[in-house]
Amino acid sequence: MEQLFFYIFAFAAVISAILVISVRNPVHSAFFLIVTFMQVAAIFILLRSPFLAAVQVFVYVGAVMVLFLFAVLVLDMGKETMKEHLHGQSIPAGVMAVILFLLMCYMVVKGRIVANPGSYGEAALVNNTEVIGRELYTRFIYPFEIVSLILLVALVGAIALVMQSKGKEQGK
Amino acid sequence: MNEGKGRFDIMELIKKVLFTDFVKGLVITFGYNVSMDSVITVKYPDEEKWIPYRRFRGLHTLNRTADGRELCVACELCSKACPTRCITVIPMEDNTGRGISDRVAKVWKVDLVRCLFCGYCEDACPTRAVRLGREYELACFDRNCAVKNREELLRPQPVPEEMSGGVVAKARLRTTPDGIEVVADLSETRKRRV
Amino acid sequence: MPDTATILTVIAIVVKVVIATMVIFSLPLPLTWIERKVAGHIQVRLGPWRVGPHGLLQPVADTIKLLFKEDIVPAKADKFLFWLAPLMAMVPAFAVFAAIPIGDTVMVPIINQEIALYIADMNVGILYILAIGGLGIYGIILGGWASNSKYALLGGLRSSAQMISYEIAISFAAIGVVMMSNSLSLVEIVRSQNHGIFSWNFFYLPVGPVWFAIFFIGSLAEINRIPFDLPEDEGTLSSGYITEYSGMKFSFFMLAEYVAMVSVSILAVIMFFGGWNSPFPFTIGLPSILADLLALIWFFGKVCFFIYLFMWLRFTLPRYRYDHLMVIGWKILIPLSLVTLLVTGFMRIIG
Repeated sequence: MEQLFFYIFAFAAVISAILVISVRNPVHSAFFLIVTFMQVAAIFILLRSPFLAAVQVFVYVGAVMVLFLFAVLVLDMGKETMKEHLHGQSIPAGVMAVILFLLMCYMVVKGRIVANPGSYGEAALVNNTEVIGRELYTRFIYPFEIVSLILLVALVGAIALVMQSKGKEQGK
Repeated sequence: MNEGKGRFDIMELIKKVLFTDFVKGLVITFGYNVSMDSVITVKYPDEEKWIPYRRFRGLHTLNRTADGRELCVACELCSKACPTRCITVIPMEDNTGRGISDRVAKVWKVDLVRCLFCGYCEDACPTRAVRLGREYELACFDRNCAVKNREELLRPQPVPEEMSGGVVAKARLRTTPDGIEVVADLSETRKRRV
Repeated sequence: MPDTATILTVIAIVVKVVIATMVIFSLPLPLTWIERKVAGHIQVRLGPWRVGPHGLLQPVADTIKLLFKEDIVPAKADKFLFWLAPLMAMVPAFAVFAAIPIGDTVMVPIINQEIALYIADMNVGILYILAIGGLGIYGIILGGWASNSKYALLGGLRSSAQMISYEIAISFAAIGVVMMSNSLSLVEIVRSQNHGIFSWNFFYLPVGPVWFAIFFIGSLAEINRIPFDLPEDEGTLSSGYITEYSGMKFSFFMLAEYVAMVSVSILAVIMFFGGWNSPFPFTIGLPSILADLLALIWFFGKVCFFIYLFMWLRFTLPRYRYDHLMVIGWKILIPLSLVTLLVTGFMRIIG
């Protein structure tokens, strides 16, 4: 039963991911990206991590993609859809993609992707959120804080860049 | 927001934090919402009808003298004065005492689709035969019924001239073969709520 | 072969889903009537009057009209997204109700079964509702874009910017509630408020009312109602994102809006006003079935008050200007919620 659902979600995710890069219209791409994210969230639920699924929907679908669409909507669609995006690099890009695919196939076949089961059993996963919270703020406190710091720097940097160009405009 | 005043107004801040302006507005609208007396709607076709003032310019009327003779002498001044040329007058000879003179109107009709109810015909009329009356339910289903002729306009008015109007009268909706009409009961009136 | 208990659970879930869907589908009928009546009386008019006694059949007449109206698709519209957008607005509004409880488990006397008055008590309930509820925005954005009309596009753009600004404040308010009640599950949040009126999160002084104000203002903006209905601002955008929609597609957007209003009212009650708990700290020794009924009455009474509040506000307040909207979102609500978060954290540690 679970396998069946996994295959449904995985299939939909792969199909929509392919559509993201193959449709011409940027808004359609964005739409299929939303679909992909939703399928991934569904797979997270199958993996017994509802918190991650909710956050995936909340952050990626609810916020990031809205911003994305906001930017895409103000594009001039007529030009964007017609433009050739690869600028004559399609042959090398295709070759690289095939090589990457073969590489990944090799790793999947040869490598060991079965992760060690964690120290948490089925029972602990009921309180999924608490487990994640405790782990994040104890064992993974340094990576967590570093990630926060990087995000903060990016935020400040973005504002600084905008303010600089604004100041120049006013200086003129 | 308070830079202009130069000092920090603590009362303003408290008012903002407690949403006093919002609450004031909400109290007012809640008052309207719960009190049924404040409703100003005139329940027009079903229960009530607005009786206009005497100065109202509605459907034309053709008047008679006290002894029942037509005031219209078919001088055609109204049709000349009409800015939209909506009045047609065809005079004829008649010495039976139908009108106040020997010249009466054979045809006097007004095309309400074109009429703009300006009242120039009223002003032009030397005998005060044409008046704009208080009838305002003029909607109908085809263009022909928008042309009113002499016979119809000579009929007595549903609202008598003596009544000064400006009131809401009790009324009821009546379905007739020609359509629907709202019949007002002029004995029961009330002032309009403002 | 699954045993009888499993089958019964599955049947119960299916029945609950069907009932919930049917109730939600028919919700806009009374709500449109009530909204128009409230509008009428606030504006010293009568509101709907002629279709049925006191205009009670007006929603039915409206539905029939919408069903038979011509479904116009603009010539250069993006057919696929134009068709999909109303569904994308409506489905999340319904999906939210999967996690919304309307009561605790009740003992039904005749069949002697414990029935839970919720479809799923997720342990990430509040997060699920925020996440799924936020998806309704895509109907507006994509619908606005697909219409190929500048008014609709501007409505969609406004909506997306507004939603990003206020979702942050709402999420903070949700975090505040989670801190006050110590759980992400909505049922647990209600259970934590069962000691009378002063155990409600709203009276978690001094931060409770602040969290409620942040949540309420934010949710007004999220469900696009006056004073924050900039995406469909008829003064400047004719109808914003629904300008080009007609017939059933239009009614889907309306349905989504009303359902969102109901779900936000329910959320406000659950998160801040004790859900189905009565405001009195003591319990009278009622038989359990009566007590359950009383709980339902308390719950729906509170929800109705909030629905009325939304309508009341709609016909009292003017619309904000767009830059004011952004100022309220970014410069007032978000800093305020950060400070309140800090205070709440300290209070949890001390208290």
